Amino acid sequence: MPEQKKAHQAVIFASEPPNQEQKAGFMAFLHREYGPDVTLEWYKENVPRGFRLVVDGEDFYDWSLSGRLRQMKDSLKELRGSGPDVIPLVREAVRSWTPKALVEELGTVSSVGDGIATVTGLDHVVYGEILIFTNGVRGMVQDLRENETGCILFDEDGDVCQGSTVRRTGKTAGVPVGEDMLGRVVNALGAPIDGRGDIAAHDTRPIENPAPGIMDRQSVSRPMATGILAIDAMFPIGRGQRELIIGDRQTGKTAIALDTILNQKGGDVICIYVSIGQKASAVAQLAQNLRERGAMDYTIIVHASASDSAPLQYIAPYAGCAIGEYFMEQGRDVLIVYDDLSKHAIAYRTLSLLLGRSPGREAYPGDVFYLHSRLLERSAQLSDERGGGSMTALPIVETQAGDVSAYIPTNIISITDGQIFLESSLFFAGQRPAVNVGLSVSRVGGDAQTKAMKSAAGAIRLELAQYREMEVFTQFASDLDDTTKDQLVFGQGLMRLLRQNQSHPLRQCEQVILLCAALDRALVTVPPEEMSGFAQELLAYFHEHHAALCSRLEQTGVLTAEDREEIVQAAREQTAQAGAERRW
Amino acid sequence: MTKGTVTQVSGSVVDIRFDAGRLPKINEAIAVTVDGKRRIMEVAQHIGNDRVRCIMLSESEGLARGMEAMAYGDGIQVPVGTCTLGRMFNVLGEAIDGGEPLEKDVPRWPIHRKAPSFAQQQPAVEILETGIKVIDLLEPYPKGGKIGLFGGAGVGKTVLIQELIHNVAMEHGGYSIFTGVGERSREGNDLWKEMKESGVFEKTALVFGQMNESPGVRMRVALSGLTMAEYFRDRENKDVLLFIDNIFRFVQAGSEVSTLLGRMPSAVGYQPTLAEEMGKLQERITSTKNGSVTSVQAVYVPADDLTDPAPATTFSHLDATTVLSRKIAEQGLYPAVDPLGSTSRILEADIVGEDHYRIARQVQTILQKYRELQDIIAILGMEELSDEDKRTVNRARKLQRFLSQPTHVAEKFTGIPGVYVPLRETLRGFQAIIDGSMDYYPEAAFYNAGTIDDVKEKAKKIEEARRL
Repeated sequence: MPEQKKAHQAVIFASEPPNQEQKAGFMAFLHREYGPDVTLEWYKENVPRGFRLVVDGEDFYDWSLSGRLRQMKDSLKELRGSGPDVIPLVREAVRSWTPKALVEELGTVSSVGDGIATVTGLDHVVYGEILIFTNGVRGMVQDLRENETGCILFDEDGDVCQGSTVRRTGKTAGVPVGEDMLGRVVNALGAPIDGRGDIAAHDTRPIENPAPGIMDRQSVSRPMATGILAIDAMFPIGRGQRELIIGDRQTGKTAIALDTILNQKGGDVICIYVSIGQKASAVAQLAQNLRERGAMDYTIIVHASASDSAPLQYIAPYAGCAIGEYFMEQGRDVLIVYDDLSKHAIAYRTLSLLLGRSPGREAYPGDVFYLHSRLLERSAQLSDERGGGSMTALPIVETQAGDVSAYIPTNIISITDGQIFLESSLFFAGQRPAVNVGLSVSRVGGDAQTKAMKSAAGAIRLELAQYREMEVFTQFASDLDDTTKDQLVFGQGLMRLLRQNQSHPLRQCEQVILLCAALDRALVTVPPEEMSGFAQELLAYFHEHHAALCSRLEQTGVLTAEDREEIVQAAREQTAQAGAERRW
Repeated sequence: MTKGTVTQVSGSVVDIRFDAGRLPKINEAIAVTVDGKRRIMEVAQHIGNDRVRCIMLSESEGLARGMEAMAYGDGIQVPVGTCTLGRMFNVLGEAIDGGEPLEKDVPRWPIHRKAPSFAQQQPAVEILETGIKVIDLLEPYPKGGKIGLFGGAGVGKTVLIQELIHNVAMEHGGYSIFTGVGERSREGNDLWKEMKESGVFEKTALVFGQMNESPGVRMRVALSGLTMAEYFRDRENKDVLLFIDNIFRFVQAGSEVSTLLGRMPSAVGYQPTLAEEMGKLQERITSTKNGSVTSVQAVYVPADDLTDPAPATTFSHLDATTVLSRKIAEQGLYPAVDPLGSTSRILEADIVGEDHYRIARQVQTILQKYRELQDIIAILGMEELSDEDKRTVNRARKLQRFLSQPTHVAEKFTGIPGVYVPLRETLRGFQAIIDGSMDYYPEAAFYNAGTIDDVKEKAKKIEEARRL
């Protein structure tokens, strides 16, 4: 008996039903390819400027805008290496080019669960490619095995079931980038989630991108002012630096990042805040805070909340980084905050364990270092040939019970160019920002300080580290020699001076004045509990009576010997006066 | 040249099928072309059914099953000899300094080589002066020996290795090779600039595979640098300085690909072949009768845990170890060397001399005594100690401070110019503290000073400031 010939079923996915003329065109094409026995159906799907055609659930023709562009690109690629006469060839190729329907592959889900799907078929799928499942769920290829493909899902896996069809996109994971992103809150795939309408993206960029090479960089040399005295004086951050903010929960880590973003107001820096695994309400509050203070105009928030799937949390920082790179490559300066990478590591651990990769220290997979190193290495100060842009990264890591020597914290410390360690004991003792002077460091920022700041700050960090050690050593001693006593009083005063309330940034000239006065021991007679108030009065006095000095410091960034003399002189007078008032 | 087909991709590990009987050997290089760019991988295993398992020496994005792969019949080869001097390379031996490409006919050596034989070994017995007090006194470095700098994150390994480059490479006069393994690209750029300015540039080759690169690169780049050093030792009979920052990243990269290669994980998730991989590399870094290799290797200590398998395995390969400690760094004492945790094989009276040996051991005894007394002080305070113990504590605290010194590299952060202290001065200084002739100088004067004369100078200044 001859084999029963089945009718072919063709399905068109398009935004509008095809009109008579188009329908005739389709039928002509289908008759040519599949013979006379074909039925045609239309399904509504949002395909920009074009359609997709599936025949018998197997053959896939992509005639959407992006699909046609890709074909165009492919046909031009074939011209590569044709020698010096390539231009006429290109012209010819463009003229004679007509869109062809290309057979695309479809795959089938063989198993799914815990946000991981295994797909069969898709023989030519590329590592890192984005796949589209039924109902628009997206996933990324993470494993190419001999007969199947392992894939992580970006949405709920509830809609994906065994036997679901999977489509290739031909693209690796990417996010939209462009000026229009500014002021917006987006998810890890770059889609807006703030209810303020669509974003007209300028371009899309792959989320994974190689970091600038050694010769594409130059030394960090320009300051990224935080407005926080303790940081700008002791652990200065330069543009293109990676400075880790580390500490227990509720020690003011996010506050430092937030203050730094706020301090960029009126400047030329673009800020990106990436939240990973955070409470949505906390991020909403942060966004509102930024908006109220007018800082949202130059800020983008990338948000992967605690309820988002592990794959989304995993790609969020890379997406944020790609958005930043777009600006960096235009020669602009970017500040990116990753809040926080410990949750990112946990999301990646979840994924790895589910993909069956074996656990190492603290059950993290072996490549957890590479996870963060390839992310943070993308922050750089580009060389002038590459446009001279920069991306400064402030990754945040949460420690448990102040243990900086745990696995993830030490991993990230070994990647960044320094760390600011916040200690809860200092925080509750009222020393805020609760910076631990001994364990914090900035490896490159010194070069980025202005001359004035550098000469004013001097060796304050080493002085304070020595003071802290001395304080511990002498806590039971009664007969201290005078040198030691002086050192203790001086250190105590410095610590008080470094206290600063949240969102009260100090300008550069103000910082220089305070440091000059304090390190010249002009403030040693001020009682510790009055230090903060006195510092405010002193600055007010300087703004009033030494306005020329202030603006000179701010503009030139240089502190001459005369300036220093003027500051110390005035500070001594003020302290003496305050001392006299106190005695009365 | 044989052709194969990609059959499986899992992270950095790729399987390729070849025709039966034409499989490339282990450690042979294979190339695939993605988007017009050639990507290299290296054969790690034959896994049966005509398939080989390879490690990518670049990222895996864009690879697909069915892609064509080419085996060239030999392993990765890097240029060697004087053409490498003043240049910067990647793991494949390609110049990445933006300069002229190397000429086609420069000598090239494969990066996988055998270690020198037993008969070739040349033990080290001479001290190499570094100008850093704590090192010269307590763990003197041997010429032609292997030196390890151990430290957790951010305690100053890279600063110390750069200070050693500054003090030793510039004095040394011979060839130096610097290999950056899995460290920061920024440091690579900074080092390149510093080298250019310092004038030792024409005698130095740099090789980098930094932390943004795939594990395969970080696993192999140490071999690329080492091969360049071996050529100078074996062919040109030179004394070579080899700096590796950081050898731990080599082990780490191996563990990243280990499970993907299908091996069972060993202790703390490391590869089961850790000791063997480390041994194969370390045995090649040695001085032979032909010439010497003095190597300085930074070793990262994950989670500050010296018993972690990676640093623990490295210890036994070294002649001198300098251990950097977070506790000391926390006190602002740099270089943050742990004077009681660091050791040297040549700290013997026969090699360093009677005086040096005696002073070093006495310093250690005093510091050890102080360490024991610290608990008592924390509970009872200084007053409860006997006069003898009080004196020990005071001297120990002065010793601790005198062991710190300003470095040339840190000058730009601290604003304090670096010092080079000759060994003679170092010995004189510590002798003076031990025998009590410095007992009446204030403790602060010893901090961040060079020679003992600097201390006296500083003490004078402190005294003057107090009088004011």
